[in-house]
This record gives sequence, structure tokens and C-alpha cells, in this order.
Amino acid sequence: MTEASKSIRDELLKPDSGSVRRSRIDWIMRRVFEASAFLTVLPLFVVIMFVFVRALPWLNPAFFFNNPLDPEPGIFNAIIGSIQMSGLAMLITAPIGIAGGVYLSEFASSRVVSIGETLIDILLGVPSIVAGIFAYLLLVPVLGFSAWAGSLALAVLTLPIVMRTTQEVMRLVPVSIREASLALGIPVWRTTLLVTLRTAFPGVLTGLVLALSRALGETAPLLFTAKGTNALNFLEFGTTMNAMPLVIYRYAGAAEDQLVGQAWATALVLMAIALAMNVAVRWRTIDSRVA
Amino acid sequence: MEVRALHSLRGARVAGDKYFTRLMSAAVITLGLLLIALIGSLVSASMPLWAIQTPLSFLSTPAWITGIEQADGSTLEVYGAAAALFGTAVTSLIAVAFAAPIGIFGAIYLVEYAPKRVAIPLTFLVELIAAIPSVVFGLWAVKDLSLRLRDSIEWWIASTIGQFIPWLSEEPGSPSADSIFRAGFLLAIMILPMIVAVSREFMRSVPVSLREGYVGMGATKWESIRDVVLPTARIGLIGAVLLALGRALGETIAVTMVIGNAEGIPSSLFLPGNTIASKIANTIGEATDVQRSAVVALGLALFILTFVISILVRVLIRRFAVIKAVS
Repeated sequence: MTEASKSIRDELLKPDSGSVRRSRIDWIMRRVFEASAFLTVLPLFVVIMFVFVRALPWLNPAFFFNNPLDPEPGIFNAIIGSIQMSGLAMLITAPIGIAGGVYLSEFASSRVVSIGETLIDILLGVPSIVAGIFAYLLLVPVLGFSAWAGSLALAVLTLPIVMRTTQEVMRLVPVSIREASLALGIPVWRTTLLVTLRTAFPGVLTGLVLALSRALGETAPLLFTAKGTNALNFLEFGTTMNAMPLVIYRYAGAAEDQLVGQAWATALVLMAIALAMNVAVRWRTIDSRVA
Repeated sequence: MEVRALHSLRGARVAGDKYFTRLMSAAVITLGLLLIALIGSLVSASMPLWAIQTPLSFLSTPAWITGIEQADGSTLEVYGAAAALFGTAVTSLIAVAFAAPIGIFGAIYLVEYAPKRVAIPLTFLVELIAAIPSVVFGLWAVKDLSLRLRDSIEWWIASTIGQFIPWLSEEPGSPSADSIFRAGFLLAIMILPMIVAVSREFMRSVPVSLREGYVGMGATKWESIRDVVLPTARIGLIGAVLLALGRALGETIAVTMVIGNAEGIPSSLFLPGNTIASKIANTIGEATDVQRSAVVALGLALFILTFVISILVRVLIRRFAVIKAVS
């Protein structure tokens, strides 16, 4: 290569000031995005670590198996209460939610689908405290503060979740599977229940688990419906019932170290349950949602 | 063939199918009735309030006075939502101001930069944040986050610009135990996962070919994001922020735990206040008669706010779907 052509080449390859500036900005923005991504996950670790450290000294068998008024207080009645109210809410929600999701995906006209989806959107956006007011207005004047009202509030919040996920996963079932079943002469209702719904069942289950985890963690709608109590309430839905979120809320501002410690321990239990449920149902499908 | 058409083929149907589909449709009707019952009960239970006050005066009055005996023997009752509305608006705006840029930038990293082995666990972890119950966030905020914010950001702002701007100043000498700002900051953390998840979904749907074309013409990665990805996903991003705003408006328990639940409109962001949701949570248990219907009216206001946001998001996103179908 001659001297002259070399200098021409260098001249051409030399980055001009504009492109240096542009690549520098590009580098800076990349760092900004990385930092933001880091900030979005940071709270998860901080919260988990903090709750873990504060809760650990208070975790013992008495905490799990005794009631608040026992000599060695625990939250047994709250654990039992949470299970009962969330369980009842899911018993109400699951059949209606699944049926509605199936109808919207399989049978509804496009007009009904759009109306149904709008209804689901609106109910998904209803703040939990408004669902609480609804249950309070409907049931508390009749029954007084009761677990029935608490369960109703939780059911209002979980119904749209179940219906939405059922509809979404039913839609993903290939049409050919339905066609094959119908071609064998199997009636539409059996095809829907035993072929389509069965194929989509893992997804439907995901929806149910997510709804249950939401129900277990809700506090606001229970404050003035189930209200909370120190007594153990087993299957007496007509009276007040305790729940784990209520325990955390009540004890958070307490003066005694014992109660605050129990709030932390309850928070750890509640968080562990919620995270375990979410990990169990979400990890399986994460690849398809990211790729 | 479309699923619905397939299911209404004559040959495929038996007598039971008619009842089966009716039974299934009953569930959707139940959902509709539920919404009607919800609105109906809120409206009818708030009626006693409208007998003594107009909706306009309810929304514009900051005072909340429950039956004070006056000199002439009559009792004075005034219910106003203005203070709670103010608190709700300010905490939600603070939350969105922090969470929208960080959430959208984080989503950009996930979609545009992160290799798959990083994107998968990161996306998963962000989803998990949304699974933590809000009362746990509240407990953490009361015992830790609040105090840290008070001694860092709040103190710093109040001792610099706060000297000149009254609504950013602190009580001289004694920072208050709770504040609106801290509630807003906590809300920002709680709505982040939603902003990341929804905006990620929309940026992902921007066709790769658009970016490739722009980069092929010599644009840098950042320029392709700024000029192609963000404008194309714009409506989805607005939708993401609106959805998160709806979440922030209605969030109750965590906010109630850190906002201080003080009456009236505070003069500074670093003083305690309340929101519609926290006011309801604190008042409804003891409220009777007209006060109870005033609390329900607060709930009605909150419902209408979130209702409007839900509809808005739906309209926006449907428009986006149409754009996607055309391009």
C-alpha cells in the first residue's frame, strides 16, 4: 500500500466528532437502562431480606400452633381463618370463573366477547377496598361482621382473574383438537369439557393459584367485613374471623416487641406462601413469555 | 375454522348442548350482575349524603366534620372529599413520576439489551415483586423504608430547595412520623412491576425489521430505540402508566400504614395526610348514618376514577391493536 492510499484510508476510517458523540450517548443510555433494570428488581431482595432477618427470631412451634390469647401467643387462628376465607372465596369463584372463561372463548359472539372482556377489565381494576365496601353494604347489615362478608369480598376480587386466565388459555388450544373430537361424533359439551378444557387445564390451574395467592394476601376488604378476632373460629362463617394480613396490620403499630415480632413472622409466612405459589405456576411458562 | 362457528355446526350439536352453553353464559351474566350490584349498592348507600350535600360540594370541601353541637342546639355536619382526593392525586402522581421512567427504562433493557439468560430470571423476579402482599410492603415501609426516606431524600430536599418552596419544607426541627411523600414513594415501588410487565409486552411487539432497517441505515442502538421502538409502542406505554396509576389510586393498606392519616390538606409533601382509600379504611368501621354514607360516597368516587381509567386503557389498547394489524 502506498503512503498516499494509506493516509486516505486513515482519513476515511477516522471517526468524525459527530459519531464519537453518538456512540458515547449510546453507551451512556445503555448504562442508564441497565441501572433501571437493576432498580426494578432491587426492592424484591431488600424486602425479602428485611422480613427474613426480622422474622427469624420469632418463628417457633408456639407461633404456628397457639392462638393470640394463649400464654405463649401464636397466630394459629389467623392461619386457619385465612385458609377458610380464601378457600370459600375460591369455591365461589372457580366454577363461575371457569364457566365464564369457557363461554367467552368457545361460544360467545364477538359482541358478547367484547362486552365480557370490558366487564372483566373493569372488575380487575376495582380497588380491593371498594370490593370490601360492597360486601360490607350487602352482608354486614344482615349478618354483622362475618367471615361470609370477607369471603364475598375476596370472591369479587378473584372472579375476574380466574375468568380472564381461563379465557386466554382456552383460546390457545388449537382448533384442530376440537375438530378431531367433534368429527368422532362427540357432542359439543363433552368436547368442551373433556377435550378443550382438559387440554387447557394447566393454564386454568395457574389462574386459580394466582387468584388464591391474591385472596390470601388481601387486607383492606377484610378490615370491616371479617374484622379479625383473637378467638379460634372454625367453620363459623357467621361471626368474625381472623386472617394473616389482619394480624400484620394490627400488630405493625403495636408497642410491645412481642407483637411487632409476630407481625414480622406472619409477614414472612404470608410472603413465603405467596412467592412459593407464584414461583410454582410462573416458572414453568417463563420461557414462552420472555422469548 | 373459527371456534364459535365450529361449535354451532348443526351436525355437531346434541340436545344437551343448548343447556350447556346457556349454563356457561350464565357465568358471564353473573359477572355483569355483580358489577350492576356493586354500582347499585354504592349509589344507594351514598344517597343519605346527597340529601344534605351536593356531589360538587362534597368533592370541593376539604373539611370532614361529624356532628358538632352548635350554640342553637342543631348539629353541624359537613363531609368533604377534597383533602382525601388531594392525597390520592399527589401520592399517585409521585408514584408515577418515579416508577414510569425507571419501569419503562428497565423494560427497554429487558427487551432490547438483555441476553436471554439474563432476561428470563430478571423478568421472573419482577413478576414476583407483584406477588408480595401489600400489607408486607406496608410493614416494611413503616419499620424501615419510611425512616430511611425521612433521613435521606426528604431531609436533603427540605434542607436545600425546601428553604425556598414551602410545599417541600419540613416542620422546623422535627420531621414528622409519616408523610405523603413516603406513601407515594412506596406506591412507586409497588406499581413498578406492572409498568415493566405491560410496557415490555408492547415493546416486544414492535417488529424487529423496523429496528433492523433503522440500524442498517447507520443509527445506533439508542437512536433506534428513541426513534423507532418508543414511538411505535407509545400508546402501549401510556396504557402501562395508566394501568399503574389505577393501581396506585386504589392501593389501600400499605398507604394507610405510612401516610399518617391526618385530616385536611397538608401544606407540605413531607407532612402526614390521607387518601380516599386510607380515609375509608380508617372511618368505615365506626361510621353510622350520614357519615357512613359519606364514606361510601368516597368509595363511589374511587370506583368512578378506576372505572374511567379501565375504559380509557381498553380504548387505547384496542387502538394499538388496530395499528399493529395495519402495519
